[in-house]
Amino acid sequence: MTAMTRILIRHEAILGILFVVVLIAMASQNDRFLTTANLLNQARLMTEVGLIAIPMTFVIVTGGIDLSVGSILGLCAILLGVFWQNLGLPLPAAIGLSLAAGTAAGFANGLIVTRFRVPPLIATLATLALYRGLAEGISQARSVRGYPDWFAVLGRGDFLGIPTQLWLFALVAALGIFILRFTTFGRTTYAIGNNEAAAEFSGLPVERTKLLIYTASGFISALAAIVFVSRVSTTRSDMGSGIELEVITAVVLGGTSIFGGRGMVIGTLIGLCLMQILQNGLSLSGVRGDGTTVVIGAVLIVAVLISNLLSRFSSD
Amino acid sequence: MTPILELKNISKAFGPVKVLTGVDFDLRPGEVHALMGENGAGKSTMIRIAAGDHRAEEGEIRLDGKPRRFAGPREAQGEGIIVVHQELLLFPALSVAENVFLGHQPKTAAGLVDWGRMRREARDLLDRLDCPNLDVDQRVSRLSVADRQRVEIARALSRNARVLIMDEPTAALAEADVRRLLEVVRRLRSEGVAIVYVSHRMNEIFEIADRVTVLRDGVSVGTRPIAEVTEASLVSMMVGRDIHQLFPKEDIPRGEKRLELRGVSLAGVVEDISFDLHAGEILGIAGLVGSGRTELAQTIFGVTPATSGEILVDGKPQKIASVREAIDAGIAYVPEDRGSHGIIRAQPLRENVSMAILDRLTKFSVVDTGREQSLATDAIKRFSIRARDARQRVGQLSGGNQQKVVLAKWLATEPKILILDEPTRGVDVGAKTEIHRLMGELAKKGLAILMISSELPEVLGMSDRVLVMREGRLSAIVDRKDASPAAVGAAMMQGRREPARAGAAR
Repeated sequence: MTAMTRILIRHEAILGILFVVVLIAMASQNDRFLTTANLLNQARLMTEVGLIAIPMTFVIVTGGIDLSVGSILGLCAILLGVFWQNLGLPLPAAIGLSLAAGTAAGFANGLIVTRFRVPPLIATLATLALYRGLAEGISQARSVRGYPDWFAVLGRGDFLGIPTQLWLFALVAALGIFILRFTTFGRTTYAIGNNEAAAEFSGLPVERTKLLIYTASGFISALAAIVFVSRVSTTRSDMGSGIELEVITAVVLGGTSIFGGRGMVIGTLIGLCLMQILQNGLSLSGVRGDGTTVVIGAVLIVAVLISNLLSRFSSD
Repeated sequence: MTPILELKNISKAFGPVKVLTGVDFDLRPGEVHALMGENGAGKSTMIRIAAGDHRAEEGEIRLDGKPRRFAGPREAQGEGIIVVHQELLLFPALSVAENVFLGHQPKTAAGLVDWGRMRREARDLLDRLDCPNLDVDQRVSRLSVADRQRVEIARALSRNARVLIMDEPTAALAEADVRRLLEVVRRLRSEGVAIVYVSHRMNEIFEIADRVTVLRDGVSVGTRPIAEVTEASLVSMMVGRDIHQLFPKEDIPRGEKRLELRGVSLAGVVEDISFDLHAGEILGIAGLVGSGRTELAQTIFGVTPATSGEILVDGKPQKIASVREAIDAGIAYVPEDRGSHGIIRAQPLRENVSMAILDRLTKFSVVDTGREQSLATDAIKRFSIRARDARQRVGQLSGGNQQKVVLAKWLATEPKILILDEPTRGVDVGAKTEIHRLMGELAKKGLAILMISSELPEVLGMSDRVLVMREGRLSAIVDRKDASPAAVGAAMMQGRREPARAGAAR
């Protein structure tokens, strides 16, 4: 097999082609779709899911899962409002504290998974409920509004003609690509997903790596909370509920194996964009929200099927 | 006598790679036909064609003299051709009886599983295999490897096997269990079952086989009655050259003390072990499966840190609480279970070779892929690993080549002390000799080697001293000049409990 065909039958390449096809199809359906304004706006809307999808790619590559990201987002959003309005802290301090809280929540997930050896699915299913419950308890069903104008720049403003949060997302994504692909940390992540025992027998820091990954997942979820609050300029306790499923869908659509050991951040990015343009394009064409969900589900299955078929063909 | 199963002029290729070319093979009822050859010689492919897993591109399969095509393994199983795989394909969470009858459970009139009959029939099958102690309600996950194998054989018999293909059945067994397995094979033969027996172990072949076929590079070198071959002639058939000495053991002057254990224990598993290991020395550890050999090795290597006692490296007490600390102290460990502890199948050769020294191959924690690549290509050359290139996934290599990858990975750490746990298990004769030669070379360079092996000839042939373990304790240390099979065997067995139990207690 030539190097060219080997690249072409990669899941990421297939997904890229699928992305272009969908892009063209959507553009031909509706002339409001392929405009700079619309695309930039879509990019703005997908930033929160996108941010969390980066550490989630790491989590899933290790063979784990983090279901609590949506609840961490909600908790951190609430804490931001409470620190700022109810405790009267300056907003930058409230942001800092909220980020710290998200990091601690992720760290707790990591501890439960590594120290107490609870399967990640169970551990984060439990903290999903726990963190969301905390958020609701703290908020007492009140929302916080009236954030200062400078704060709205992050979620609604532009920098050099591009939505501010997109710069932040680009930075996180670039960091993710770099770490997973080029560093010992990334190598260890893959090794854990493929054969955790062998990684341990090779003296790789398995526990520390997993702990760091879950902690990063918490931190980035908090970051996404800040972006989210800034974009909608209000805080509610149900923020980000269900976002974990969108995130996981993007990661898996992007070719990361749910069994671990395989996946790339690039794939996650393409999967994410594909989901977003499908949603947007379909709604512009007048398809209702539930119809869009059906289409995304179908695309996920088709993409995974094609990829499985081709990998069977390539491995023999 | 018409052969039960006959392969005629079989050829098979995977893409551009020809695996079998014009192979003939025939199997008569009531015979044990040994199939030998180095790893990669095409044995597994041939087995898979016979069992309907693969289809041959050329040639034909005859069953009872009539040409037959198998559309899949199910059809072959229907004809009573059953494979007992090297990696046992059992379901650990199910009971012995459930495993035996999985897929063809006896049913009651109402179409439900007839548990009573299933348990009774499983019991009968196991009695036929002479293992009255095996409980049919026991979960398979709690059985020893030897017992699991019996379950697998019982499963084959439950499907009325006429042809039983056993792929390296003794690779994971200790001497005593091998005896019992050979007994079972004899019994099946006398019942008229035709058996294809794949093994690298010469003494078993001579003990059990009626005829032997040797494959080399996808071609059959010949089929001979066992009486017409010798160990040496078989080896030369397999590798295509003479191997004068099976164990190229050299006399190397003993250097300074590298490793010393003083009363090392791992609570409940390994008790009070003391010995020393010198540079240039190969210290063999003999013992039955379950005697604590691997557990001792993993204690020294920090996988399961010692609960008491002292480990001294180069005369200085060394705290080894993790694998990392052991590696930093200059200890390397080539594990017994290559698949789950040694290699990462899905990752390329070069990433496997660099795995234990990743921290040394980095600049600001970025992996230096250039150095990694040259490390891997050097390893391929130095250990003559048969791989397409450094990017090939390790899972695609043969057992012997995988083992060389693991050796390359650990020698890259430049250890002072090398622990080899079953270094030649599941490895073909050619690679085995290469590994033995390599051990000699390394010892000559001043490495201190601790070698665990279930193969007594290997232990006796390679070691300067033999340390014998029994039930987690050191039962004897025997010098090379006094090390006879009888002396070491006696120290292994002395006052042992019933064999199956010692295995199950693991």
